[in-house]
Amino acid sequence: MTQQADTEGLAARRPLSPHLTVYRPMLTMMMSIAHRITGAALYASVLLLALYLLGLAFGPGAFGLVSWIANGFIGHSVMFLFTWALFHHFLGGVRHAIWDRGLYMDPKGRELLAQGTLFGGVGLTVVFWIVAALAR
Amino acid sequence: MTNATGFDSGRSGRGAAYVSDRSGAAHAKFMKLTARALAPLAIVSAWTLIGVVGEPYEAARAVIGRPISALALIGFIVIGAVHARYGMETIIDDYVHDPAKRELALKANKWVSTAIAAVWTLAILLIAAPR
Repeated sequence: MTQQADTEGLAARRPLSPHLTVYRPMLTMMMSIAHRITGAALYASVLLLALYLLGLAFGPGAFGLVSWIANGFIGHSVMFLFTWALFHHFLGGVRHAIWDRGLYMDPKGRELLAQGTLFGGVGLTVVFWIVAALAR
Repeated sequence: MTNATGFDSGRSGRGAAYVSDRSGAAHAKFMKLTARALAPLAIVSAWTLIGVVGEPYEAARAVIGRPISALALIGFIVIGAVHARYGMETIIDDYVHDPAKRELALKANKWVSTAIAAVWTLAILLIAAPR
């Protein structure tokens, strides 16, 4: 254990080249990070929604405790962000599937797919919510 | 397809692309497979869940209880929970280095993802069950 602590201390003391502080942020890089963040956000979202569904299943009393997840200002915000994360992560997956086939890997293609993920995610979210509001 | 290094893995067909003998290939294939299954399920689930926003108790139950919605949600979470579990495992692999904490995090991830799938499925079945 002391040996491990020693090597970990050694690693902490070793000089490290700057990375995040010097690398120019690129859209493809940002979308990769966003893919991970939206994935984690979706994990947390389905956890919250599990509580919501439990409330719906148990009865009006239980539902009163969890209705904030989908109702009111907080609920609307939570659900909006959830669907945005879902569409963004979905389009990110499509982007990776396209890249897996070796397509759109040139500089212009990469930018196009990254922009498509970003703007497509926002666009799909907005379209779905507008259509849902109209359909009520 | 030319191989720059000249290394022959002995595999053929689709397997020819997987040159490394480490265990990442199975995970990667699974993620891609589940992603394809999840694509339509996620769209229908998103639509259903947007329909639940702002609704009171009975109305929300009616939205979730419709057969197509219920089936899509269950399919979404059963496949999605495993997809999420593997995804979270890669996050844990990247950021948690202490062995004891890693074991704990991986176990917690397995339990939470399984629990989410079970709770969603059972709750939806209860909601969709005819009165």
